[in-house]
Amino acid sequence: MANELRFLVVDDLSTMRRIIRNLLKEIGFVEADEAEDGVVALQKLRSSTFDFVVSDINMPNMNGFQLLTEIKKDEKLKHLPVLMVTAEARKEDIVRAAQQGAAGYIVKPFTKATLEDKLTLVLKKAGLQP
Amino acid sequence: MNAATLVLGGVEAASPDIHLKIGTLTRQLHDTLQQLGLTEKLQGTVQELPDVKSRLSYISRLTGEAAERVLNRVDQAKIQHEQITSKTRRVSTLLAEDPDSTVTHGHLINYLNDMEKSSQLVDQHLTDIMMAQDFHDLTGQVIGRVVNLASTIEQQLVELLIQTAPLGAALKPSVEKKETGLAGPVIDKENPEGVMINQSQVDDLLASLGF
Repeated sequence: MANELRFLVVDDLSTMRRIIRNLLKEIGFVEADEAEDGVVALQKLRSSTFDFVVSDINMPNMNGFQLLTEIKKDEKLKHLPVLMVTAEARKEDIVRAAQQGAAGYIVKPFTKATLEDKLTLVLKKAGLQP
Repeated sequence: MNAATLVLGGVEAASPDIHLKIGTLTRQLHDTLQQLGLTEKLQGTVQELPDVKSRLSYISRLTGEAAERVLNRVDQAKIQHEQITSKTRRVSTLLAEDPDSTVTHGHLINYLNDMEKSSQLVDQHLTDIMMAQDFHDLTGQVIGRVVNLASTIEQQLVELLIQTAPLGAALKPSVEKKETGLAGPVIDKENPEGVMINQSQVDDLLASLGF
């Protein structure tokens, strides 16, 4: 799968940002940027164009749930699919993410195959892939 | 066995005197903690200790598994690498001896196919080595929670020291130490009274109490 879609990876840990970016690159997505928390992510989303977001939940300043809320409140951003990739595996968190409009939810640790599968589903659902 | 001890269900019971003393001590401790308003807090902390042990075991397990995973993948990648080296050397020799025959007998095309397969395998090993690094994220979060609990216990012990300090051990006024700028304390202005808000205060307090 080769793709020109542009994505934003949001995670407070640089190791995870690198891992996710590298995996997305292997899957075929090379257009990428990253942010270390929700605040920086929102700034980047509002000042540039992205096709989808991959976000952690547990982050300082603005966590993943807050970022999701802000994205869904923003007329210009609310169409963006947001895939949550997080260590938070509690049922209530997953339900909350879904209710807030997350397009997908991956629990860490995860595999490349899981990321690829979820991403394919999310992008199809969003009409970004056939 | 003397009259003072009884065996009940395999557990040797203490003499009534010792039992009474332990009971009195427990009651005194319980009453004191309750008067100090610390029972609830300490109870919460004690309940979290087994959780801390399991969290530390989790960190140990996860880091161990990551190390094993990386080493196994490195071993497999090295085998692939050795095969690439040996097959390259063989084809080089064949090409030097008889280039036409090497091509016509399919040695060259076989070699190229093998190289493609080996490269794919090496790439898979490298991806897995990269994925093994995700332990850093998971253990980091767990360590953060353990550090928070350790900090809570320290705070509660300091509270206990303040509230149980003998009259003669009046606290000296806190003298601010010159900050080095390397690891400045984070001052939490929301902390209630009686709680130390920086390391300097904690050090002064411990020193004034003879610790």
